[in-house]
Amino acid sequence: MVTFNRRLPRFAYVKPASLGEALDLLQDKEKGRVQVYAGGTDVIPRLKARLIPPPEFLLDLKGIPELDYIAYDKDKGLRIGALATIAAVMNHAAVQGSFGILAQGAHSIASTQIQNRGTIAGNICNAIPSADSVPALFCLGAKLICVSSRGERSIGIEDFFTGLRQTVLGPGELLKEIQIPDMPAGGRGVYIKLGTRSRMDLAVVGVGVVVAVSDGLFRDVRIGLGSAAPKPIRAPRAEAALRGQKVGEQAIAEAGRIAAEESSPRSSHRASAEYRRLMVEVLVKRALGQALKAEE
Amino acid sequence: MEMRKIKFTLNGKPCEIEVKPWRTLLEMIREDLHLTGTKEGCGEGECGSCTVILGGKTVNSCLVPAVEADNQELITIEGLPEGDKLHPIQEAFVNKAGMQCGFCTPGVIMSAKALLDKTPAPSEEEIREGIAGNFCRCTGYTKIIESIQAAAEMMKGDK
Amino acid sequence: MEEYSVIGKRIPRVDGRVKATGEAKYAADYEMPGMLWCKILRSPYAHARILNIDTSRAERLPGVKAVCTGKDFQGWRWGWMPQTRDEPPLAVDKVRYLAEAVAAVAAVDEDTAEEATELIKVDYEELPGVFEAEEAMQEGAPQVHDYVKNNLSVDFHMDFGDVEKAFRESYLVHEDRFETGRCITGYLEPPAAVALWDSTGITIWAAKQSPYFVYRHLADCFKLPLNKVRVVQPFIGGGFGGTKNDSLAGDFCSVLFSKWTGKPVKFVYSMKEVLMTCRRRHNMIIYNKMGMQKDGTITAMQSRVIADGGAYTAIGPLSMYLTGAISTLPYKLPNFKHDAYRIFTNNPISAAMRGHGVTHTRFAAELQMEMMAEQLGLDPLEIRLKNAVTAPHETVNRVKVHSAGLVEGLKTLGETPQWKDKDQGKGGEEQWLQGVGLSGTCYLGGARQRGHQSCGAVVRLCEDGTVDYLTGATDCGQGSDTVLVQIVAEELGLAVEDIDIKRVDTAVTPCDAGSYGSRVTVLAGEAAKRAAQDVKEQLAKVAAAGWQVAPEEIVFKDRKVFVKGTPGKAMSFDKLAKTACYSGSGAVIIGKGYSDYGIEVLDFERGAGMPGTSFSFTSQLTALDVDRETGFVKCKEMIIAHDCGRPLNPINVEAQNQGAAIQGMGQALYEQFVMKQGQTMNPNLAGYKMPLSLDIPRIEVIDIITDDTTGPYGAKEASEGAHVSAPPSVASAIHDATGIWFKEQPITPEKIVMALRKKKEKGC
Repeated sequence: MVTFNRRLPRFAYVKPASLGEALDLLQDKEKGRVQVYAGGTDVIPRLKARLIPPPEFLLDLKGIPELDYIAYDKDKGLRIGALATIAAVMNHAAVQGSFGILAQGAHSIASTQIQNRGTIAGNICNAIPSADSVPALFCLGAKLICVSSRGERSIGIEDFFTGLRQTVLGPGELLKEIQIPDMPAGGRGVYIKLGTRSRMDLAVVGVGVVVAVSDGLFRDVRIGLGSAAPKPIRAPRAEAALRGQKVGEQAIAEAGRIAAEESSPRSSHRASAEYRRLMVEVLVKRALGQALKAEE
Repeated sequence: MEMRKIKFTLNGKPCEIEVKPWRTLLEMIREDLHLTGTKEGCGEGECGSCTVILGGKTVNSCLVPAVEADNQELITIEGLPEGDKLHPIQEAFVNKAGMQCGFCTPGVIMSAKALLDKTPAPSEEEIREGIAGNFCRCTGYTKIIESIQAAAEMMKGDK
Repeated sequence: MEEYSVIGKRIPRVDGRVKATGEAKYAADYEMPGMLWCKILRSPYAHARILNIDTSRAERLPGVKAVCTGKDFQGWRWGWMPQTRDEPPLAVDKVRYLAEAVAAVAAVDEDTAEEATELIKVDYEELPGVFEAEEAMQEGAPQVHDYVKNNLSVDFHMDFGDVEKAFRESYLVHEDRFETGRCITGYLEPPAAVALWDSTGITIWAAKQSPYFVYRHLADCFKLPLNKVRVVQPFIGGGFGGTKNDSLAGDFCSVLFSKWTGKPVKFVYSMKEVLMTCRRRHNMIIYNKMGMQKDGTITAMQSRVIADGGAYTAIGPLSMYLTGAISTLPYKLPNFKHDAYRIFTNNPISAAMRGHGVTHTRFAAELQMEMMAEQLGLDPLEIRLKNAVTAPHETVNRVKVHSAGLVEGLKTLGETPQWKDKDQGKGGEEQWLQGVGLSGTCYLGGARQRGHQSCGAVVRLCEDGTVDYLTGATDCGQGSDTVLVQIVAEELGLAVEDIDIKRVDTAVTPCDAGSYGSRVTVLAGEAAKRAAQDVKEQLAKVAAAGWQVAPEEIVFKDRKVFVKGTPGKAMSFDKLAKTACYSGSGAVIIGKGYSDYGIEVLDFERGAGMPGTSFSFTSQLTALDVDRETGFVKCKEMIIAHDCGRPLNPINVEAQNQGAAIQGMGQALYEQFVMKQGQTMNPNLAGYKMPLSLDIPRIEVIDIITDDTTGPYGAKEASEGAHVSAPPSVASAIHDATGIWFKEQPITPEKIVMALRKKKEKGC
C-alpha cells in the first residue's frame, strides 16, 4: 500500500531538562518507543515518510543546556556539544581559525535553513556515507563521547560507523560530545565536495585531507573519504604512501591513485561506482594540492 | 494524547495556543493560526518555501515541531509590512519583478531579510549563498537577486 | 511607430503586492468550516490486476466519513480526444503505473485520512510490466491497454516533398540517434483543491492553469450541465503545462466525497507524490536523418520519434503532433518526413510541458545540423545564417510565418565578444575547458489545435468610471494578468491601477482554453482588446453625441477623453463614464470580445497548417566551463536574443525568458528521473535536481522587435522559445569545450568524464 504522508505520525513530545532525565527516559522505554532528535532535519522527514517506525515519544534534546556548547582550549582541544548546530560550528572563531576543514565540511551541508537547525552530532549519527562533516572529523581524529545510563565511553570516529545508518550506539545511548584534538603542527586541511549542482546535493564524493609538511617532506597526512564506501573511511594506504615522501605532483598523483583503489563505492541513482572511484582519485589530488597551498 | 500549550511572540505580538505534539511549525502557522503566507512546497526541508525566522534564524518550518515555538520569537511573511507600508524587500520584489507565480516568494523574502539583517551590503555571491536553500522554478533567480540588491540599496538609504 | 501609454512599459505586476505579502491565496490556503480532508491510496505495483479492495477497516476508523474506489465512478474515463478516453479517476480493473491512485478516504483531518488509507486492503495480481518504449513496441511485450495493439498509443505521419530524392541528391547525409531525459515541470506548488457540492452544483477552488478543461471534465464525470460546475481559480504556484492543465484523482475524489457528505473536501498532494505520479515531459528517442549540400544548405530531414507515453494517453496526441508540426522551422526545409510513435509503458504518464513536443525534435535537429556543419567546415553561426528563414515564409507543411527575427537574433549574438572571442584562451592545460554554443529555435504562440480554443473577455464599466476586466485566462505565474490589464488600460486610455482584473470563476467569467501553448497574450490579449474597444465605442458614441462630432474622432488617453485636434472638447474619463452610465434611467455599459479564431482549417492528422497564430524565434548563446577532470559544468553566461514581436511588458518578458532558459538548462544538465522497473528512484528535490541560485549563469535578454501584425500590438509568444533554445545551446557549448557531441540528455558530469576518457584512449 502506498500513501504519501504529509503529516507526522502521532506521538507525545518530551523535553527533558537534564541529561540524566533524558538517559532515564531512554533507558526506561523499549527500543523504538523513544525517538531522539535535536535539529530534526533528518529525523523529521524520515518520520513523515514512515522510514522510522512511529515512536511513542519524540524526545527533544534541546532542553539540556549542558549539551549546547562549542569550546576550545589548548589542553582539551575543540569540544563540540551534541546540540551545537552546523551553523554555530562553522561560524565559530576557533573552528574557522584552527579547524578550517571542519568549517568547510559544515558549510557544504544543504542550506542556511538546515544549518541553523541541524547539529554536527546529528550529521554524524544519521550515519550515511555522504555526511559532509565526517571526512573532516576523520582527518582530525575526532573522538566521540557517548553516554547512556550505563556510563560514558569514548569512541574514535573511525570505529563509530558499522554500515549504512548503523553506528555502535547501543540502546538508550546518546552522542554527547565530539572531541577534536589540535591539528598536527603546521597542518592544513581542505574538504572538497563533489555534486552535480552547486548546492543541496548529497555528496557524490566527499574528500577531506589534512597535511603537515616538514623540510619539503610530507610529515603527516590524513585522508577522509565520504560516499566512497558503504561507510565513511580513511585511506590509510594512500596516507602511508605519502608520509616521508617529497612534496610534489608525482607523490600526490600516486596517493590519489591508491586512495581510489582503497575505495569501494556503490552505484546509485546519483552516480556509478566507476565514476565515484575516478573522482576519489581526482579529488584527493586536488585536496592535497589545495591544502599545500593553503595558509597555515 | 495531550495538547501542549505554548506561548510565543508572533510578528511582534504575544500569542498563546494549544498544539498537537506532532504538529509542525508550518502546520501551526497555516492551519492553527490561519496565516497562509508561508507555504508548504516539499515538506522535507529541500525547497525553502516554508522558511520563517524563529529565534532570529531562518528555519524550514516544515521540519520544526510546533511546540518548539514556545518562548520564542517567530516572524512570518505577514510580520514584515508596517501597517500598510511594505518592507523594503517586499517593495523591491514588486518593482523589480522578483516574483512570477509567487509561491516561493514569502520564503525567499524571509531568507533575504535574514541575509540583509546580517550582511547589509552583500555581494552577488553572498546573495546567491543566502538564498541557496530557496528553490524557484519560475524566475531563474536573476530577478530575485536583483530585487535583493535593490532592497539592500533602499535599506542603506533608510539608515 | 505608435507611442503607447502603457504597452511596452516596464510595469510592475498587478499581483506583485499580494504575492510579496503572502496575502495571495493558493488552492491549499483555502479552508472552510466543517471541511474534510481527502487522501489518496496508491498502488505499490507498476502493473497489476486489482482483484479486490476491502475498505471496511478504513470506514470504521473514527473520523472517517467516506471511502471510495474506482467503481464509484461507474466506468467513466476521460482523455484529450474521444478515442483516447482511457484514464479513470481511480484505477478500476488494473493499475498501469506505480503509485497509480486506487482508492481515497475523506476524514475530519488529514492525520486520520492518512491513517485510514493504510487500513484499506487491496489484493493485487502482479503482472509483468514494460518500461522501455522500444521494448513495449515489440510483439509479445506486456500490453498496458487492451484497446490498442503493441502498446501504440498514438502515431503521426507527415510527408512533405520527397525526402528520398533529396537525400540522394545531397552532398552529405547524417543519421543519428538522440534521446531526451525524463523530466517534469517542477512547479513548487503541489496540486490541491477544495471542492464543495451543494444545491448549486460543484464549486471547486483548484490549482488549474486551464480551469475550463477541468469544468468540462467534472461536468462529464458527474453528469452535470456546465452551468452547474464552477471552477474558481486561486493564485497558481507554477504550471508549465501538463498536470495543472488537466484533472487529477484528487479533484474527482474530493468532489465525489463532497457530494456524499455535503461537506467541503480538501486535498493537497505531497511533493513526493507529484514527482512520482504527476504528468511528466515525454522522454523521446529521435532517429534523425538530415541532408545537406556542400555549402551547408539543408535539403531534407526525416525524423522517427519514439516517445515513452507512460500508462495513459492524456494529451499525448498533441505532444506527438507537435514533434513534427513545426520541424520545418526555423530553417528552410523543402523536404520533410516525420513518423512519430507514442508508446504505452508502465511508467508514470507523459504529457505536456513547456516547449511541448517541439523541444525534443528541435534538440535533435539543432545538434545534427551543427555536427554536419562541422564536417563541412562551417561554424555554428554560419550554418544557421545559411538556412534561417526570413519573413514572409511558408513551410512545406503550410505553416505561414509573418515575422521572423531569427537572422537578426543570430547576427546580434555573432557580434558579441562572447562569440567573437570564444576561441581565445583555449587549448591550455587548465582545469576548466571553455565552450561557447549557439542555438536558433522557433516556437508557436496562440496555440489553437483542437476543440474549443477561443478566449473570451468582458470589460465592465462601473458607474464611477472604474473598470472591471473579467477574464477566462489564467495567470499561472507568467504575468498574463498584468499584460491583459495593460491592454485594457491602453485601449481605454487609463492607467493599470484603474482596471481591476476579475480572475477566472467559471460561473461568471467567459470561457477560455487556459494557459498553454503560449496563447494568453496573443489570444486572450486579442479578446481583451476587443472587449475594451467595445466599451470604448459605447462611450465614444455618448461623447460624440455630446460634442456633435463623429465617434471616430474621439481619443481616449491619459484618463481623458477628447476630440482629436480640438483640445477644448475634453473631459475626464470618469466624467464621461458617469455621464454615460447615468443617462436616462441608467445605462449598463459592458464590452465583450473574443479571439478571432479564423476560418483556416488545421490538418491535424497530416501535420499541415497553422498550429498557432504566430511564431517566436529565439537565438541563444551559452558560455560555460567544463571541469575536465570531474565533468562538472559551470554555466557562466546566457545571451538570449528573442523575437516575440514586441514585448508588451518588457520586464516580465525578460523575467520569463530568464526562467525558461534556466529551466531548459536544468533539463540539459541536471534533471533526470532514474527509473527502475517503473519505480522512480529519486522522487525528491535533492534527487531530482533543478537549478538553484548558485547554479545560474549571468543572463542577458535582448529583444528583437518585429511587430508581428497578427498579434495585439505586434506581440507574439515569449519565453517558450527560450526554453526550447536552452538545451541545444548548452549541448553546443559543451561540444565546443570538449569536442564531444552529447546526444542524450541530461549531460551529466559522469557522462562527460567517461566520454572524455574514451576520447583520450582513442587518441583523438
